[in-house]
Amino acid sequence: MQEPVSGPAVPVGAGEVALSIEAIRKAYGATVAVEKAAMTLMAGEVHALLGENGAGKSTLVKILSGVVRPDAGGMVLKGRPYAPTSISAARAEGVATAFQELSLLPNLSVAENLLLPRLPKGVAGMTSAAGTWQAGAEILARYGLDHIDPGAALESLPLADRQRVEIVRAFVNARHVLVLDEPTAALADTQWLFDHVRAATAKGMAVLYISHRLSEVRALCSRATVLRNGRSIATVELSAATDGDIFEMMVGRRGHAARRAATSTAATLNAPVVLSVSGMAGDTLKDVSFELRKGEILGIAALEGQGQRELFRTLAGLRQPASGTISVDGVAQALRGPSHALRVGGGIAYLPEERKTEGILSGLSAASNIVLPILPSVSKAGLVSGRNERAASEEHAQRVEMSQRYLSFPIGDLSGGNQQKALLARVMATGAQTLLLFDPTRGVDVGTKQSIYAAISNFAEQGGSVLFYSSELPEIVQLAHRCMVLYGGRIFSEFTGEDIDEQALVAALIGHGGAERRASAGVH
Amino acid sequence: MASLTHSTPHRMRRAQPMKLLTSGAGIVFVLYVLLYAIYASLQPSALSSSTFTNLVNNSVPLAIAAAGETLVVLSRGFDLSVAGVISLTNVLMAVYPQEGPFGALVSLAICLAVGGIVGAVNGWLVAILRLQAIAATLATMIVCQGLALVILDAPGGMVADWVSYELTDRLFGVLPISGLFVLAVVLAWLVFKRTNLGLGLYAVGADEQAASLSGISVIKVRFAAFVGAGMIYGLAGFMLSAQTATGNPNSGTPFLMLAFAAVALGGTSLSGGRGGLIGSILGAATLMLLQKVLFSGGVSSFYTGIFQGVVLVLAIVFGSAFARLTGRRTTA
Repeated sequence: MQEPVSGPAVPVGAGEVALSIEAIRKAYGATVAVEKAAMTLMAGEVHALLGENGAGKSTLVKILSGVVRPDAGGMVLKGRPYAPTSISAARAEGVATAFQELSLLPNLSVAENLLLPRLPKGVAGMTSAAGTWQAGAEILARYGLDHIDPGAALESLPLADRQRVEIVRAFVNARHVLVLDEPTAALADTQWLFDHVRAATAKGMAVLYISHRLSEVRALCSRATVLRNGRSIATVELSAATDGDIFEMMVGRRGHAARRAATSTAATLNAPVVLSVSGMAGDTLKDVSFELRKGEILGIAALEGQGQRELFRTLAGLRQPASGTISVDGVAQALRGPSHALRVGGGIAYLPEERKTEGILSGLSAASNIVLPILPSVSKAGLVSGRNERAASEEHAQRVEMSQRYLSFPIGDLSGGNQQKALLARVMATGAQTLLLFDPTRGVDVGTKQSIYAAISNFAEQGGSVLFYSSELPEIVQLAHRCMVLYGGRIFSEFTGEDIDEQALVAALIGHGGAERRASAGVH
Repeated sequence: MASLTHSTPHRMRRAQPMKLLTSGAGIVFVLYVLLYAIYASLQPSALSSSTFTNLVNNSVPLAIAAAGETLVVLSRGFDLSVAGVISLTNVLMAVYPQEGPFGALVSLAICLAVGGIVGAVNGWLVAILRLQAIAATLATMIVCQGLALVILDAPGGMVADWVSYELTDRLFGVLPISGLFVLAVVLAWLVFKRTNLGLGLYAVGADEQAASLSGISVIKVRFAAFVGAGMIYGLAGFMLSAQTATGNPNSGTPFLMLAFAAVALGGTSLSGGRGGLIGSILGAATLMLLQKVLFSGGVSSFYTGIFQGVVLVLAIVFGSAFARLTGRRTTA
């Protein structure tokens, strides 16, 4: 992860504005994804868009590509108002995007994917197979991808080639503005991409480049716009900004959140180990080893898709690791499923990521949702009365500061925050001594967050252990006794107590400055 | 023969017999030939032109209905209205017979129009209002069944003579005329497949999100699939009427389950994006042939359903096992 000292060597084109966006706002229900975002792309420049998870990058990309329409604000493309209503409309105006989650069709051929939605015509207006193949082959050759068979089904390609096809399609459709959203996620060699980006900008194309790899951004881009909480914080010349400056803009000069956990950090360091993972590997995970102690809150910080999902699902027994061992209370265990995980040692309970699909049973009352795991103890002769259910749920609702009056409502009618409280109450009701919480405050309001933090802290003070992943760094800073950063499926670095600092975390998240931490923290 | 593989036309460039065999349509074709061999050994007259014509006439309504259903299934949808449209068009044919060849043409136009209208309603409900396909088409099926009962409350009526005689006859004494209708559907499909809309059908069925990000109008594709399917059901009702020569307000009901069975047997994935219409037609033909084989083997007709179900499961298991052996990726 060596970053170049000098700025990019990209010749900036005519200096004419290609696309400017002004005070763009987009909300999904109560959640504001983008607010007052503004940015100017010059023709011939590669412009980076930087920001944490949830800063609004994806929404902005969707707005530029015509997938999503903004609630307010406007865009100007080459001096004319630009308000695409569909992806085809955006393409017609010369704006095309290579999406992070590839937008290719696995069952069609490479050539068909490149040419959609309109294929070359042959006899009697029918699409011509030979023409499609030919056109596909020409496009692939133009971008130096002769090794890809234009007739091959897309799904037969390795992931890197699929990503290249996605990128090439965007190149083909872009005349004025090209948006590349995490284009190198699956590319081991970036030279191919950089060469073509430079060739395009030399002809006056504006490129918006989104990547969490700062070294790439520095190598390719001239300026960067930083998004935070949906707002564009600043646009900077990359040659004039240090990495530290950029991290600070990404996380903001937030006053250090009160570390309520700090005092108990020392106490947990010598407590007995309740959960121990050693050498776990499989899919994206590579040699993950760590220990979770009694009374400890261990945070996991990671960008999207660094293996955190696999880690949590493995510990919950939802998937089997390819190698490595999991020990609970000192005994090696093969976790067969969530209900088995609940029974081993002090028990492991899992709060899943997707509240709507994996968590709540929306037709049932909040009380039923909470007491679900302890139904046998609530029922009499196999029957469950509403009153018993309610009584049993009250105690657990209190632990998460959930108001009693919500207990009888169908959980689907409650706010996201109250649903999340009920789910947290459910995992606590299981009586498990270890909780796995995957992004426990995702999409909930500030007040609910505080209740959830308090519930987690209390749980740990009473001797429970918590492993939690959060997409929000302040949460980790505030809550965790110890924090591990996952990067590329490995534990990249580890921070303890007062060392848990947002800027240091951000650097580690994108694979910077981890080496010496790793050594000092003693994680392999 | 690219049509027998499941998607891309470019495969014409290099024929791959293995691929043909592992495609759903290839397997069901082999199955059909095997069954026909058994049929011929049980019943020597199986090879005569009149027996074959009979078999084709019996199979055609289901084959066409399954062909229509395939359009919707390919786009990852379900269409239960097939039963309603067939019942409705059948009673229309029996209650309002139009004599002569010109009358037949008028009847055909009415059947296609009725099917097209029902399909448009389905398309509006599913593609535009975004109702669940299974619920929306269940409703239209019930409405159509109800309409059929209003028009004809008990089995009866007479389909025009010209239709019931000519369309079950043979051309030049060998070619079953009803088979020509299936051929027409196949030809129309082969053309449709090579339009942007036809490719869109596979794209939407595989991944709606990616299809729309690729610039395909998902609404247009879905709507077209339902309208096309509805019109083909209308044709199925027309052919059924020629076959039975009478009307029955419940005549479409047996087609509901069998059409889906034929689609699955023909190698079309019920989760969309893979398969084709020709496989479904062969699937329907196989299900009907199976009935004949069992009958001529002296098996009571009560057992037919059991055998059909078992054959369906075996064909799907065999198909995916074979695909795995040859390294082709199975459906998602």
